[in-house]
Amino acid sequence: MDTLGHILHGFNVALMPINLWYTFLGCFMGTIIGILPGIGPAAGIGLLIPITFGMDPTSALIMMAGIYYGAMYGGSTTSILINTPGEASSVMTALDGYQMAKNGRAGAALAVSAIGSFLAGTFGIVALTLLAVPLAAIALKFGPAEYFCLMLFALAAVSSLTGKSAAKGIISTVLGLMVATIGIDLQSGQPRYTMGVPELQDGVGFLIVVVGMFAIGEVLSNLEEHIKGKAEIIRLKGRLWLTREEWSRSVMPIIRGGLIGFFKGVLPGAGATIATMLSYTVEKRISKTPEKFGTGMIEGVAGPEAANNAATCGAMVPLLTLGIPGSGATAVLMGAFIMYGIQPGPLLFEKRPDLVWGLVDSMYIGNIMLLILNLPLIGLFVRILYIPTGILLSLILAISAIGVYSINGNTLELQMALMFGVVGYLFRKIDIPLAPMVLALVLGGIMEQSFRQAMTISGADPMVFVRSGISITLLILAVIMVLLPVVLPRLRAMKDGPEDLDS
Amino acid sequence: MIIDRIISAAALFLAAVYLYATTRIPTLEIGDPLGPKAFPNLLGIALILAAILLFIETLKAGKSDQPVAPAAPRENMRHLWMIGGVVMWTAIYFGVFDLAGYLLTTTIYLLVLTSVFNRGKWRANVLTSVLFALGSYVLFVKILGVTLPKGMQPFESLSSAVDVVWTFAASAISSIFRRG
Repeated sequence: MDTLGHILHGFNVALMPINLWYTFLGCFMGTIIGILPGIGPAAGIGLLIPITFGMDPTSALIMMAGIYYGAMYGGSTTSILINTPGEASSVMTALDGYQMAKNGRAGAALAVSAIGSFLAGTFGIVALTLLAVPLAAIALKFGPAEYFCLMLFALAAVSSLTGKSAAKGIISTVLGLMVATIGIDLQSGQPRYTMGVPELQDGVGFLIVVVGMFAIGEVLSNLEEHIKGKAEIIRLKGRLWLTREEWSRSVMPIIRGGLIGFFKGVLPGAGATIATMLSYTVEKRISKTPEKFGTGMIEGVAGPEAANNAATCGAMVPLLTLGIPGSGATAVLMGAFIMYGIQPGPLLFEKRPDLVWGLVDSMYIGNIMLLILNLPLIGLFVRILYIPTGILLSLILAISAIGVYSINGNTLELQMALMFGVVGYLFRKIDIPLAPMVLALVLGGIMEQSFRQAMTISGADPMVFVRSGISITLLILAVIMVLLPVVLPRLRAMKDGPEDLDS
Repeated sequence: MIIDRIISAAALFLAAVYLYATTRIPTLEIGDPLGPKAFPNLLGIALILAAILLFIETLKAGKSDQPVAPAAPRENMRHLWMIGGVVMWTAIYFGVFDLAGYLLTTTIYLLVLTSVFNRGKWRANVLTSVLFALGSYVLFVKILGVTLPKGMQPFESLSSAVDVVWTFAASAISSIFRRG
């Protein structure tokens, strides 16, 4: 069967009643997770993986992906109504969205983010469909050395782009790689860093780290915020629709945001957060009235929201075609793949076209479902925000316990999850980003494997990593990524002089 | 910026511990030219380099005249105690999870947490704690087939009682559906 046939067959898979149901379930739970203030997409996927045990992998992954992009939709609601973005990628939406809500245009803000998300999301999936095949074909030519360099580049990009300090990002990455080395070394059969604990022989469970750092750690941070003070919820008033004028102002930001979002999403590390910032900046710069941004400009909601969702689809590209996630949430998604014994990457397109295209095509359907969930039904979802924070956060802790215990029925693993929760809480306090560590943990095993394979092929000659043009390019890019945050501010300072200070 | 210095130092210390632990990995020289130590050694070195990089970053930040934010130690300490308390309470919860079973431990765990963080609304708190523990037990164990601890005796009989009630309820519901 040719590619077009595979893509069309994917719709057969995605339209099966059972998979439609799981798409809906994923989108539904994703929307809730996006709206819940204390929990992001990464934690949400991690907590819900245990529910899918025993399901058909295709259905399970369709549901997981639904949670992922559904959470991105839902995130805007929290930003607009209570000014507390659940995810970093919704921070930009809060700037003007919350102001719009204060001005009585909450309905319009929610509507434009739902419509913008739908349009940009659908564009993103089309682009994903078109880009996946050629990229997978290129990736098939990669040997272990190229793969190692590619992973190095991805980790370098994520380290330097997801946080304030590149050094802290690298520390987070290396710690993740170190955790990945715990357990029995598959090639030599030697136990490493297990300290005689039998539970550590199989390595530190991926879900333990994810639930610990993202769910428990996040709850601890939120509890602290909760002790300090409360956010005010703006009641949803008026019709959930846009005036003609608001709509015409939003069209171009949505198109621009969609384009920016998708390409930023494809690149590792950049991801949704940077895409939303870029989109916001672009809209502000193009606008004839830039001084009004921050007071409730609809362009400032439409652009970033579109970028956010297009980036979500863009982020699926490297995950599916290369088997290399570029963000925390896609790393958790990859962890879910691996738990089902499925290694995402170019080979998957040949071995399991039904799974890949079923998943991609289910995203078209999921986007339509999300539009319905987020427009007419948003009033229902908003009620979740009225649950007292103290109760909500307590319940998330109990759900984390269920999630971790259900993997192996082991209470030592519960304590380990708590430990990672404390680590995650501390990392947030001292500005060490979490995403690089989780990404490194997912990639660590494969990375070491390809490193050793490459060295075995070359007879322990490290020059193997600079022998092909692809590897050299990737290594140079990796070095640039690490040096960029150090060099760029200086270049800018030289160019702009003292003006730079007030930006 | 003092925190960043501490992070650098802690990273260096961790790298040293990790590199030392690496030397303790037993190796057999068979086929694999690198063995299980090579990659970890690279990681140890990478962590040292990252710690140095962070140190250099803080040097630069120290030079640029950023005013140090006035710290509020008293205020912060109270939060930290609260968070520490939650962590301890959760550790205890996990510690008796197997022994006393999911239902009882979760109910008590939630009762305490909600009465601290959702103070004064005891009726809502009691209701949520009990209903959540019961509901999640039925949902996960009975419907989704996830394993959760029933606890040792005498706690086991509590879980068993819920099991029996659920079995009756489920058969009642299904018989209604069959008739309909």
